[in-house]
Amino acid sequence: MRNPWAQTGNYRTSYEQDTTIFANYREIVSVVLLLVALCLLPLFLERSQVLVLNFILIYAIAVLGLNITTGYAGLISVGQAAFMGVGAYTVALAAPSLPFWLTIPLGGFVAAIAGFIVGIPSLRVKHLYLALATLAFQEIFVWVVGRSPALAQGAAIPVEMRNFLGLEISFRNHNYFWYYIILFVLVLMVIAWRNLLRGKYGRALIAVRDNDRAADAMGMDPGRTKLFAFALGAFYGGVAGGLLAYMQRAVVVEEFTLARSVTLLAMAIVGGLGTVVGSLLGPAFMKFLQIYVERLSEWMKANPFIQSITPAGVDVASALLPLSFGLVIVLFLVFEPRGLYNWWRLLRSYFRTWPFKY
Amino acid sequence: MIDFIQNLISGIAVGCIYALAALGFVLVYKSSRVINFSNGQFIAIGAFAAYALTVWVGLPVLLAALLAMLLTAGLGFLVERVFLRRMVGQPIISVIMVTIGLASVLDGLMYLTPFGSGNFTFPQFLPPGGLELAGINISYPQLMAIGFTMVFLLLFGWFFQRSVLGIAMRAVADDQMASMSLGVSVRRVFGLAWAVAGLTAAAAGIVVGTVSGLNQDGLIAIGLAVFPAVILGGLDSVPGAVVGGIVIGVLQSFSTAYLDGVLGQIGLVGGGSQYAVPFVVLLVMLWFKPHGLFGTEEIERV
Repeated sequence: MRNPWAQTGNYRTSYEQDTTIFANYREIVSVVLLLVALCLLPLFLERSQVLVLNFILIYAIAVLGLNITTGYAGLISVGQAAFMGVGAYTVALAAPSLPFWLTIPLGGFVAAIAGFIVGIPSLRVKHLYLALATLAFQEIFVWVVGRSPALAQGAAIPVEMRNFLGLEISFRNHNYFWYYIILFVLVLMVIAWRNLLRGKYGRALIAVRDNDRAADAMGMDPGRTKLFAFALGAFYGGVAGGLLAYMQRAVVVEEFTLARSVTLLAMAIVGGLGTVVGSLLGPAFMKFLQIYVERLSEWMKANPFIQSITPAGVDVASALLPLSFGLVIVLFLVFEPRGLYNWWRLLRSYFRTWPFKY
Repeated sequence: MIDFIQNLISGIAVGCIYALAALGFVLVYKSSRVINFSNGQFIAIGAFAAYALTVWVGLPVLLAALLAMLLTAGLGFLVERVFLRRMVGQPIISVIMVTIGLASVLDGLMYLTPFGSGNFTFPQFLPPGGLELAGINISYPQLMAIGFTMVFLLLFGWFFQRSVLGIAMRAVADDQMASMSLGVSVRRVFGLAWAVAGLTAAAAGIVVGTVSGLNQDGLIAIGLAVFPAVILGGLDSVPGAVVGGIVIGVLQSFSTAYLDGVLGQIGLVGGGSQYAVPFVVLLVMLWFKPHGLFGTEEIERV
């Protein structure tokens, strides 16, 4: 009998073993340690830092959804922010009458219906056309919200939740409270994600992505599989949007524009498509990039030398953000298409085999 | 009736802009199967280059327009050479994401110039007013937009039917493997397709400059409106791009004239349905006739 703690790789010999989630005990231990660390983390952080963390985790949920549509089913979606928006606005409209543990899944389901409708062309056409369908939905969504008096024409709609099971949620503990809720939802979503991909439907997604004709020949329905992927990815987006609505205490249409969709796609690619670790690393990377670029442009604005060399009418701050985001996307695609996940994998294997090279 | 024809004509003028922009887009898609999300940025760069050359450098308008088109064509060629060539053989999502990332980079670069914010107007080089025909007024900029597009289309028609390079491009679009074996340099054709895409995008931008003002967001929005146009016409059809562009332009003009009021009555305030209607058309086309009016129908039972 091998010592399971000293296992260095994948020793699976049967199908039953192959369907287990964790390859060895080390993985279980590291996941538990990570969860404990994430639970304790807010105790050492200030309110504003927890806010950043909240954003990262919410985007991680949306990116997980994107990883189903784009990472696993191979369908490019430039409308994930709009699906988030559908969830967020559902929550905003339902929040006065329903508790939050009902409104958030509701937001997810409404977003899933939207995803289903947008995905209908996938019964007939393939990837490129579907990307355009999501683009159309994104543009139509922003337009409709911006013109509807019922949705405040895209201006802020307040989403209030003052107490939960007797716990008063005030300005002071708002971010901390939602941090734990978001973390809980994220863990649930990751478990669902992981399990989906072990089962029949998840494997069908991969099969359809890799070769839809072969998948068809083996009895899967590519069209229906793609529709399912769209709906499920949108569900994740909707849940993320609902959480965002509560966390920000308001819904604004600016959070759900095409630019945000592109950012979400960039997060998925930077993190590494189709991986859980990447879904966490990507949003974290992009969020910190945004924070530091904003800080840099603040500094540039205050610096008299840079002020003197910039021509009149140029706003450096608004230039740096798209510039850096675009560069990150292009450079990652050209030099590290597997994303940060690959670095993480290399790092892990380095420590696992240390002191040997391989 | 007069109003109707007036709206039709202004729609056709705007549609010509889309048709020009769509032309380059379709060319790139046909030859290399790349969907170019940075088309709007090319349009903006072309328009701003023409503006800078006329207003700041002081060149005559036509020369400036020509130089701006060549400049943007060079940029297109460069983009293909530096970024897209590395992506040959990569999954489609990577290729599309590269063009999206590129769009973001070009956006940032434009924000670094004074063109990033504010509105700019081309110097008036056409006489004010326009042609009067039985009570219908066609302004000279509109006339120029239509005429410019016609000239461009004729040039393109000649290029693709008669010139060696144009025939090579058509061959590559048709069958890459076969054209390679017959000695066509597929790489050069890809580069050329991008250069032509840059050229037509710049032409579209210059037409926008003469018809209305220049504004970065507005120019980039034209790049997005090209998608409905090409899906309507068929992604891989050059005549389809022209027809689709003009139809979308006319639809936009009609929706401003007629639909905005109707939508106001059912509770959507603010109008501006011209921004949403093309995308509704795009979605409906994808549902019912995804290969467009003139596109090749790839019949696949999957």
